[in-house]
Amino acid sequence: MGTVHARSLDPLPMQGPELGIQADDIEAPEVEQEPKQEVLENKNVVVQRVHIDGLGRTKEDLLTYEIAEVFRANNLIDVMRKSHEARQKLLRLGIFRKVEVNIDTSRGEDALPNGLDVTFEVTELRRMTGSYNTMVGNNEGSMVLGLRLPNVFGRAEKLTFQFSYGTKETSYGLSFFKPQPGHFERNVSFNMYKVTGQFPWSSLRETDRGVSAELSFPMWKTNQTLKWEGVWRELGCLGQNASFAIRNESGHSLKSSLSHAMVVDTRNSSILPRKGGLLKIHQELAGYTGGDARFLKEDFEIQLNKTLYWDSVLSASLWGGLLLPFGDAPTCIADRFYLGGPTSIRGFSMYSMGPQSDGDYLGGEAYWAGGLHLYTPLPFRPGRGGFGDLFRTHFFLNAGNLCNLHYGEGPQAHLKKLAECIRWSYGLGIVLRLGNIARLELNYCIPMGVQSGDRICDGIQFGAGIRFL
Amino acid sequence: MSLAAEAFVSQLAAAEPWPENATLYQPLKEDQILLSDHASSLAVQAYLRMCGLPVQVLCRVNSEFMSPSGKIPFIHVGNQVVSELGPIVQFTKAKGHSLSDGLDDVQRAEMKAYMELVNNMLLTAELYIQWCDDATAAEISRPRYSSPYSWPLSKILAYQKQWEVRRKMNAIGWGGKTLQQVYEDVSQCCQALSQRLGMQPYFFNKQPTELDALVFGHLFTILTTRLTSSELAERVKSYSNLLSFCRRIEQTYFEDKSS
Repeated sequence: MGTVHARSLDPLPMQGPELGIQADDIEAPEVEQEPKQEVLENKNVVVQRVHIDGLGRTKEDLLTYEIAEVFRANNLIDVMRKSHEARQKLLRLGIFRKVEVNIDTSRGEDALPNGLDVTFEVTELRRMTGSYNTMVGNNEGSMVLGLRLPNVFGRAEKLTFQFSYGTKETSYGLSFFKPQPGHFERNVSFNMYKVTGQFPWSSLRETDRGVSAELSFPMWKTNQTLKWEGVWRELGCLGQNASFAIRNESGHSLKSSLSHAMVVDTRNSSILPRKGGLLKIHQELAGYTGGDARFLKEDFEIQLNKTLYWDSVLSASLWGGLLLPFGDAPTCIADRFYLGGPTSIRGFSMYSMGPQSDGDYLGGEAYWAGGLHLYTPLPFRPGRGGFGDLFRTHFFLNAGNLCNLHYGEGPQAHLKKLAECIRWSYGLGIVLRLGNIARLELNYCIPMGVQSGDRICDGIQFGAGIRFL
Repeated sequence: MSLAAEAFVSQLAAAEPWPENATLYQPLKEDQILLSDHASSLAVQAYLRMCGLPVQVLCRVNSEFMSPSGKIPFIHVGNQVVSELGPIVQFTKAKGHSLSDGLDDVQRAEMKAYMELVNNMLLTAELYIQWCDDATAAEISRPRYSSPYSWPLSKILAYQKQWEVRRKMNAIGWGGKTLQQVYEDVSQCCQALSQRLGMQPYFFNKQPTELDALVFGHLFTILTTRLTSSELAERVKSYSNLLSFCRRIEQTYFEDKSS
């Protein structure tokens, strides 16, 4: 019997945007059945040895879990399938640049007549990779330095460092990620960061310095995350014309919170999914582990997708959230919810809905937002099979509301408040998919139900982002 | 403030009369406010009372960060926010209230010179004693400054403020001074003020001016604030005309409020 090579497939994109046909759209490769190989399918084989060649700093005990399944294959087709799965598992660890699989008959003294040797030839990623970019935007220039150390101690730990030095602000982040050997989906990560943000819709400037520890694990069909975060927040006015309500919020505060998130994601892709649904529930309790901020925050996200005739997809989504402060202190503007803009209720300006003071938007303590979309391929399908497949047209209907709650009135009053004065909008546009991470939209929007104080953006609106309603 | 900004503020200010709901913001009186901030705040309060302008004093934990210039106190009048005595005097002048209209040019120049003396000597000495003297910083300034915040933010903010003040002291040349030298400077400043005041009721005889408000703010606070050592208060007390000056202003303008 000759050597059977299972050639490596096109390298799967680990991260970063990459235009092109996405892996989610490809089915697992079918093995061609030649008439001669039908005999092989019924022939029992035993996998005697599995080698991994090309290891440098990776510890072997980490990999034994990933390749254990290959030993259990008992016919040739099964061996090939399990080897392919093991290859996928090795690649998702994020420590190898390339993995090739080699299946051969056993040689040597203790070789059985139906024995097989499987060899994985791996190329490890370099010990340290760096990147350097300069960015220019909004009257500010900055240089961004990134360092990544994959597989620091040999068991798929990852250390990333990013530093951004700008004319106005400086920010940095350090992150350490460690998966449990054998169960990559169970992992823990530690982060330390300083980020600054400028929010012109609220005339607010915010600097956050924080540390966080996060534990992530799967449970049945869900993915659970537990996180502790300690953040020192510094708020300030952006410009001399900020309203007094914003000036009142300036100063320092400390937030120490425990949060829990549960995600069930059965979609086939996170950008422009064709089927499946998403349920995300997140709660955060601040104040019981120290700090000044004391509140309970809940929010959820639901999305359902269904493919209809002629390659079009119907998608419905619903978001909502609630912020309950404890004690007498009012909520801080940095904790409240914001709504509006090309990524949520289209047709309104960015985060320019709800309670405001002198043109500065203060955010709200409760909100809900819903969207109904119909995605179709571009009319006349230009560039079909290539570039044109990245574009979709969509027709949308968005609605939502954002308000503050006056506690002590009971849940009936709160629901009534959220149902009054609903803002909504409809329209159509073009969506461009950027890899597996982001999307761009160009829409023509007609906002309705506009309340006094809201800022609208009717007509053409452009949006770019990761999370869209 | 730059000339253009001053002109702009004057234009805006002149348009409206002084409202009833003007407010003055300072840190919490019992637990948080420090000597230098209290002196500045009291000076502004005295000035506004001398002008006969009503103002309500509100205490806020984050007043230092709310202020547009980062300094205490600041007033919120109508739609405008103005901080520190100098700009506030300009602001009230634009609204038609002024205490120094009766002075001629020579006297006005003299008044400005003495106000600079108080700011450069007394205020700087207060800052030095609060933050550069280790005993006072550890026992009084840091605990008070950080009292509204929880650990570890309280420690971080207190040390950050201390480093900032010490850097400023080094920049103006006070970093090398000892505590005794600072007390000597305070004595000299008080002597100059005492000589100028003489036996008159106010610095410019019959009517109080912003200089009187400023001097009152600082001296009264020094006399009534408890520090680790009472030497600063003693130095001021040795000038009896300054003592009676403070008592006179307190009785005339602050008697209705229980301090």
